Amino acid sequence: MSAQSRQWQNMAIFLGPAILLLALFFLLPVMVDVFVAFTDMGRSLKISEMTTANFERMLTGDRRILPTLALTAVYVFLTLAIFNVTFGLILALATTAVPDRIGGFFRSVWLLPRMSPSVVYALLWIWVASPTERGLINQVLHGFLGFGTIDLRTDYPVMLIVIANGFIGASMGMIIFTSAIRSIPEHLFHAARADGAGPLAITWHITLPAIRWPLSFITVYQTLSLLVSFEYIWLITNGGPFYDTTVYALYVYKRAFENGQYAYGAALALLLVVIGIGASLAMWRFFDMKRLLQHPRIEVH
Amino acid sequence: MLKSWTRRLFAGAALSLTMFGAGMVPGMASAEEIVLDLWSRADRSGPLRAGNIIAAADELNRMLAAAGSDKSVKIEVFENNAKGFDDDALDMMKAFAVDKGPDIYVLAHEWIGAFVEEGYAYRLDDHIAANPELYGDIIESLWQSVSYKGGVYGVPQDSEVRMFFYDKEMLRAIGKDEAFIEGLPEAVNSGEFTIYDMTDLAAEVVAAGVAQQGILHRPNVGPDFQMLLASFGNDIYDEENNKLQVSEKGLTAFFEWLKYAVDKGVIPANMTSWDWDSVHAAFRAEKTAFIKFHGIWNVPAQLETRGLDKDTYFKAIGWTNAPAAEKGGMPANLSHPIIYAVSGKSEHPELAAYIVGLASQDVLNTEHAVTTGHTPINYGQTAMPRFVEEGWALRAGAPMLQYSSFMPNHAMIGPYNGLVYKGIQGVETGKLEPADAALFVIEEMQNELGDELVVLD
Repeated sequence: MSAQSRQWQNMAIFLGPAILLLALFFLLPVMVDVFVAFTDMGRSLKISEMTTANFERMLTGDRRILPTLALTAVYVFLTLAIFNVTFGLILALATTAVPDRIGGFFRSVWLLPRMSPSVVYALLWIWVASPTERGLINQVLHGFLGFGTIDLRTDYPVMLIVIANGFIGASMGMIIFTSAIRSIPEHLFHAARADGAGPLAITWHITLPAIRWPLSFITVYQTLSLLVSFEYIWLITNGGPFYDTTVYALYVYKRAFENGQYAYGAALALLLVVIGIGASLAMWRFFDMKRLLQHPRIEVH
Repeated sequence: MLKSWTRRLFAGAALSLTMFGAGMVPGMASAEEIVLDLWSRADRSGPLRAGNIIAAADELNRMLAAAGSDKSVKIEVFENNAKGFDDDALDMMKAFAVDKGPDIYVLAHEWIGAFVEEGYAYRLDDHIAANPELYGDIIESLWQSVSYKGGVYGVPQDSEVRMFFYDKEMLRAIGKDEAFIEGLPEAVNSGEFTIYDMTDLAAEVVAAGVAQQGILHRPNVGPDFQMLLASFGNDIYDEENNKLQVSEKGLTAFFEWLKYAVDKGVIPANMTSWDWDSVHAAFRAEKTAFIKFHGIWNVPAQLETRGLDKDTYFKAIGWTNAPAAEKGGMPANLSHPIIYAVSGKSEHPELAAYIVGLASQDVLNTEHAVTTGHTPINYGQTAMPRFVEEGWALRAGAPMLQYSSFMPNHAMIGPYNGLVYKGIQGVETGKLEPADAALFVIEEMQNELGDELVVLD
C-alpha cells in the first residue's frame, strides 16, 4: 500500500465518522433549511412553487423581527455576563478555594439543574414564580415576610428567563473553569503566597490570566448556544406576556410550528444561521481563538 | 448438511418476510380483518369521541358475524396528546402529508375547510343521502358546521352552549335581590344589560371583597373570543366569497372593553398566563372568581367540586349569554361542534363512513353527551329517559342556542383566532392600547392571511 493511499485510509478512519456526523447533522439541515426557505411549504408540507416571497415578507412585512432580535441580544448578554461567565467563574473560584469535599458538594448541587429533564426544571420554575400564594417566592414574601405577592412571569419576565437559564448555564462554566484552575501549577500559588500576595491578588494576577482561554471559549460557546436555545423560555413563559420573552429562536419556532408556516420559519431560521456564523467569526477574531488552537495554554513542567 | 441448513434458513427468512409483509400492508392485517386507523385528540372532556367509534365497529362486527361474514373491522386508535384542537389539527396535517393519516378522525369543525382543500376529507353527501336511517334525525342546523363549499365533509359529534357562569351567592352577599339575580339572563337576552353593565357588576363584587377576580376567560386561543367579538358586532366571515373579515372599528371596540375590564380590576392583567387548572379552581373549588366564561361541559365538574346536584345547582350558579356591547344590541353564543370526518385518502371510505354513522346514533351519542356535558346531535335524544334524567343541564342550556352561531369553516381560521388572541394578550398586559392592538392584529393578519382576508374599514 502506498504512503498516499495509507494516508487516505487513515483520514477516512479517523476523520470519516466526524465528517459524516458533521454532514448529516450540521450541513444537511442547513441545506434543507435553505431549500425550504425558497419554497411555499405550508401546513400540508406540500411545495407548489419556488419563491422568494418569504424573504420579501421578512424584509417588508414582519415588524416583529427587529424587536425579537433586540430582545435576544439583551437576553444573551445578560445571561452570559451575569451567570454563564461571571457566576460560573465565581463558583469555580469559590469551590476550588475551599476543601475538596465541600467544593465537590457545591459543584454537584449546581449541576443538579443540568441533570434534570428540561420539563421538570421548567415546571419547578413555574411553581417558584407562580403569581398565586402557592408559588415559592410568594410563600416567602407573603407568608413569611408579610409583603404583597409578586408575579415574575408578568412583571419581570426577562429577569425570570435570564435567571432560569443562568442557573443551568453557570454550571458549564463552573466545570470548565474548575478544571482550568486545577491545571495551574501549584508552585505558582506557593510562590505568590511566599511573596505576600493575598487571595484577591492571586486571583487577579495568577488565576485569571491562566484561564484566559477557557474564559474565551465559554464566552464563544455559550453565546452561540444561547442564541439558538429556547426550550426553557418556551416552557416557562411561552414567549410572553405578549412578545416580551420571545427571543428570535423561539419566534422562528412559533412561526414555523405553531402556525404551520414551515417555509417562512425556514427563511427566518436562515437569518439565525447567518447571525450565528457572523457572531462566531467576530468572536474568533476578538478573542484571538486561532492562538488558542495553536499553542499550549499552560506551561506544565 | 450445510445445504439443508441453508435451505431451512432461506425458508425461515422467506416465511418471516411474508408474515412481516402482510402485517405491514396498510388496511389489511389479514384477509378477514380490515384495520381502520382512528385519530383522536386525547381530551378529558370527550373520551367517548374515540370510544364510540370503537363501540360502533364492535356493533358492525356483530352484524357481520350474524350475517355469516368472515370479515371484521378493527379500529386502531391514535390519541394525540395535543394541548388544543388547533395543535391537533396541525399534527394531523403533518401525518397526512407523510401518508400516515388516519381513516377516521376527530376534528374541531372549523378546520374542515383546510382539510378539504388538501384532499384529506371524504365528501359525504352521497353517503348521507343513501342512508337516511342513519342521519335523518340529526339536528338540521348542525350540518352547517360540517359544510364547505357546498359539500358535506363530516358528521357533527357534539355541540355545546357557551356562557358566562355567574356565582349567585356572591350577588346575594353584596345585597342583590333574587329578582335581579334570576333576571340577569333575560336582561342580557333583551339587550338591556350590556357587557359594560356586567363588568361594572363584577367590579362591584370585587370591590366588596366577595371575589378576587370579576371575570375569568380562557387562558389560551379558543372559540370563546369569537363569541365576544360577535357581541361587539364583528362579523368575521363572508360566506358567499369564502373570505375572512376584520374590522378595525369592531376590534377596537372589543379591545376597549377588555382594557376597561382590566383597569377596573375585573379581568386579571395576567389572565393569558394563567393555566387551566387555576382558572377552573378559581370558579369551582376556591370560589374566588365571580364569573367564568366557558362552556356547558363544565357543569359535571362544577357539581362535583361544589357538592351541588340538579336541585341546588341553579340556586348557586346562573348562566347568561355573552352580553351585547351596547344597549339594545344582540347577545351572542357560539356552538363549536367537534366532528367525525373520513379521510379522502382512506382505502375504505364508505366502510369508515358507516362506522361514523353508527357511532352517531342516539344511544352512543347520549352516553357521550350526558357524561361530558355536551348537547346532543339527534332530535330524538332529548326524549330518551337517560337524557331526561341526566341531561337536565343540557336541556336548560338549549334555549341559549337561539343566539348561537358557528365559527367559519375557513381554512385560515386557526391563524385568525391566534392573532386575535395575541391582541387580547397585548391589551390585557398593558403592552398595547386598544387602537394599537387593533392595528397590530390587522397588520399581522394581512401579513399572514394575505388574500384570504378582507379589511372592512
